[in-house]
Amino acid sequence: MDPGLALMIASVFKVATRVRRSVAATAVAATLVSGCAVNDTGAAEVWDPIETPNRFIFSINRAVDVMAIRPVTVLYRDWVPEPAQKSVRNLLDNLGEPVTAINEVFQGDPSRAATTMARFLVNSTIGLAGLFDVASMLGMERTKTDAGQTIGIWAGKGVEPENGGFYLVLPLAGPSNARDATGLMIDYAIDPFQILPIAFNWDWFYYSVPRYGLNVIDYRSRTMFALDDIEKNSVDYYAALRSAYTQNRAELIRAKRDKTDTKGELERRDNLALVR
Amino acid sequence: MPLPACRRLAFRLAAGATIALIAAPALANDPAADLVSSTAAQAIDIVKAKTGAQRQAAIQQVLQTRFDLPYMARTALGIHWAKATPEQQARFVKATETAEAKAYSERFGQYSGQTLAIGKTTTRPNGVFIVDSRLNQTNGQPIKLAWEVRQLPAGLRITDVKIEGVSMVMTRRSDFNSYIQQHGGKVQPLIDELEARAAR
Repeated sequence: MDPGLALMIASVFKVATRVRRSVAATAVAATLVSGCAVNDTGAAEVWDPIETPNRFIFSINRAVDVMAIRPVTVLYRDWVPEPAQKSVRNLLDNLGEPVTAINEVFQGDPSRAATTMARFLVNSTIGLAGLFDVASMLGMERTKTDAGQTIGIWAGKGVEPENGGFYLVLPLAGPSNARDATGLMIDYAIDPFQILPIAFNWDWFYYSVPRYGLNVIDYRSRTMFALDDIEKNSVDYYAALRSAYTQNRAELIRAKRDKTDTKGELERRDNLALVR
Repeated sequence: MPLPACRRLAFRLAAGATIALIAAPALANDPAADLVSSTAAQAIDIVKAKTGAQRQAAIQQVLQTRFDLPYMARTALGIHWAKATPEQQARFVKATETAEAKAYSERFGQYSGQTLAIGKTTTRPNGVFIVDSRLNQTNGQPIKLAWEVRQLPAGLRITDVKIEGVSMVMTRRSDFNSYIQQHGGKVQPLIDELEARAAR
């Protein structure tokens, strides 16, 4: 490897670690603040101090979605042959494997990270640059994780995974919170497929634009059914999605924390029966 | 009886007894899991046989007999339940029931041969059973479903479904709570909205 590149990756790592620490601290601080603000009966609403700007971004996102992203996704879903869609998904998934592997190391699961890297090597070569998921056929199951989950795991036992700091709606990316948005930035910074194009000066137009475009369409096609369902069956779509997003992220983090420690979550539900 | 046949019979009896020993406790001790699997089977039968308004009516029937809808409605309304008049409460329960039936019959409209694999049941100290299950799809990743089952005087009833960690009741609760807050903290606008949707 080019020593300059190695140095660059190392420095990015260092920055990422520092960011992670400060974010963990922020998350803990946020918890303390919000912990004082509400009586935590286990039925507390998602902490959303910037609800007005969030709703504004949310409505813009929805307009863009209705006018552009959703129609394109429907065409993609209904007209592109299923094997092609599957290959696109495999390709994008494969590009995401290094980030998952790095996060799995930081989550204290190096053996899982090794499997993910093995998957990446197998699929990038035998799987023709990731178009085919050969590794799954060989029994190496795919896992997906991100820095938001890594922060959630290290935030400590006292921090419920439901508490990801303040709720945040990102332009285009949609529902998020302080924890997951920071995670997104970390993932961007540690992604070799973001660093390489910069290091080797790849043409942005031919690499990054198609990757982002395909990612948006692929992600939208996967979430179509669930999002349509929530929208149709809610009286306040924003609030329903805020709750669903928070619960789903919490579930992913909780599954990674102590595998037997479902007690906290179940106790929350027990308490829920007491509040009404 | 010749000796080999006799041996075979003995072997079969022993095998049968072993299976009975393993299977019997699993079946007898897990009425919560039975409730979930029979509900799923019933719903799939309805989806295969009926369409449109008939399907919705049949699904509503299943919801009424297998789910504790008044309890779910009460939990979804949260602190606003106590503020509502008995008449409002009754109308709210009725409206959410229709809304759920409509939502479920539409969801099942997309049914294409998925199967439900029931996993383990966890019993909570407060008498709640959590039944884990997995919805296996014909294409794509299986979906994680957890069912909350409670004991009522009338028998066991499902009180919540969690899809990939997202509780239906909790999501409704946030949804309704936010709507009520935006309409001056009153329950009536929510009931009107739900009734208008049910009539559509």
